[in-house]
Amino acid sequence: MNPSMGIQQRIRGWSHRHSYSFFSSLGALLSNRVGTLMTVMVLGIAMLLPLGLHLTLANLGQLDLEEEQWGALTVFLKADVRPEQVSSLAAELEQLDTVSGIEVISPEQGLAEFTEASGFGDSLELLDTNPLPWVISLLPTPGEGLEGRVTALSEAVGGRDVVERVEYDRKWLERLARLLELGQAAVTILALLFALAVVVVVANTIRLDVAARASEIEVLTLVGAWPAFVRQPFLYTGFWYGLLGGLVSMILVNLGLEYLDGPLSRLLASYGTDLQLLGLGVSQTLALLLFGGLLGLLGAWIAVQRHLRQLRETGRLGRS
Amino acid sequence: MIRFDRVSKRYSSGTTALQELSFEIMRGEMVFLTGHSGAGKSTLLRLLLMLERATRGQVVLGGRNLTQTPDRQAPAVRQGLGMIFQDHKLLADKTVFDNVALPLVIAGVRYADIGKRVRGALKLVGLDDRERSWPLELSGGEQQRVGVARAIVNMPPVLLADEPTGNLDPELSWDLFSLFKKLNDRGMTVLIASHDLELVRRMGRRVLVLSGGRLVDDVTPAGKS
Repeated sequence: MNPSMGIQQRIRGWSHRHSYSFFSSLGALLSNRVGTLMTVMVLGIAMLLPLGLHLTLANLGQLDLEEEQWGALTVFLKADVRPEQVSSLAAELEQLDTVSGIEVISPEQGLAEFTEASGFGDSLELLDTNPLPWVISLLPTPGEGLEGRVTALSEAVGGRDVVERVEYDRKWLERLARLLELGQAAVTILALLFALAVVVVVANTIRLDVAARASEIEVLTLVGAWPAFVRQPFLYTGFWYGLLGGLVSMILVNLGLEYLDGPLSRLLASYGTDLQLLGLGVSQTLALLLFGGLLGLLGAWIAVQRHLRQLRETGRLGRS
Repeated sequence: MIRFDRVSKRYSSGTTALQELSFEIMRGEMVFLTGHSGAGKSTLLRLLLMLERATRGQVVLGGRNLTQTPDRQAPAVRQGLGMIFQDHKLLADKTVFDNVALPLVIAGVRYADIGKRVRGALKLVGLDDRERSWPLELSGGEQQRVGVARAIVNMPPVLLADEPTGNLDPELSWDLFSLFKKLNDRGMTVLIASHDLELVRRMGRRVLVLSGGRLVDDVTPAGKS
């Protein structure tokens, strides 16, 4: 750099050189559309896997996992139980300190709810008798030691003659929570592995690019290009690859969500759950694109540094 | 402008390319460098371009001692030189305009000025109607003139040429040397390595003769100083 140049002139020169590299890297990508598309698709798919898993977990996390609700016990009574026996049991249970709420659901109410939720109304009309039993739903009192209290309550209620079985939602809730934790760890590992894959793919692509443009690098060096100027187009190319890969993964994941949204909503509605699938928000999208771009930049940096050094060692770029 | 003071260059392979070479070229001079293949002409030019470093002695260019200049300053030294190569070293995937504009882009010149200066350089070499052409569409002579335009577009004080007529027929070679003379008349210091002795003699300028890496003759024709 010429030391006699003013700071303004230097900044202007710097911006002109960057704008040249910016556009020449885009031009190089566009001039090899098929190769670019293939590389970008590979990167997009690599980013899609951890991204898809992350969104799956985010959607599962949407489920209402409040302990009080999911700690509820569902008591199924025997088929031959009489209504007065149900009332008696319900009154007895309501008195317990460990129970904060109780709901008695008659076979008729159960059938009506099931008919509405399942959409099997016409088929259910064909049944001669109502196959559903009386059900008592117990909401345990929240607070410390909930798990122990719920277990004790479950055992106590389950021992009654009129009780067929007690279902305890909390167990599978805990399993789900552990699965989510495991999934989150898997997402982290996958994200690291696939980030590494993105860096390697970009580095390899840029390595081939550097080799293909060795003559151009030689000419640039001979006419006085600074090493930074020689590197810039490759770094921009790496950034574009990563950014476009992120864009592809975003498009694919949104297409996937769009495709799954209808069937999944209908399935969950049949279980009485209203779940709106979460996609990527604006900030997440921007973060994904930026992260992809930075990974591409890192891959390009590694490849360019290594291969420019190799070119120098061959003597093509002189001693600098 | 250019001074070699007892310069020697020995490659790591053991080959001695230059030995105790001393000469000085004044500002505004046009000098030819001749000698057989392996005489050391290209090595001498590579020392000026900072592509090589002298093993001994001092190479001074425009007051700057290149033997003591750090490698990281090599691009700045090269930006102050115009270099013409035997094989033109044009970028095939860039137009004539873009090839010539390269030193200006590297120097960070404004786009508005680049157009003006590239067209000026192309006009000077007689290729003002070929700026949109691709290098491979041009003849050898035209390609070499594009190389000259690229070398002079920054109006460097020193122009170096390494066997610029190596791939040209005598008529085109004469045209090219005449172009160098025109540039020299504008005040540019010109150093041309060439083994075409007949052509060099016809130009009637100072000639440095190298043999085995040594300066064996320094001839200034009568009437030139």
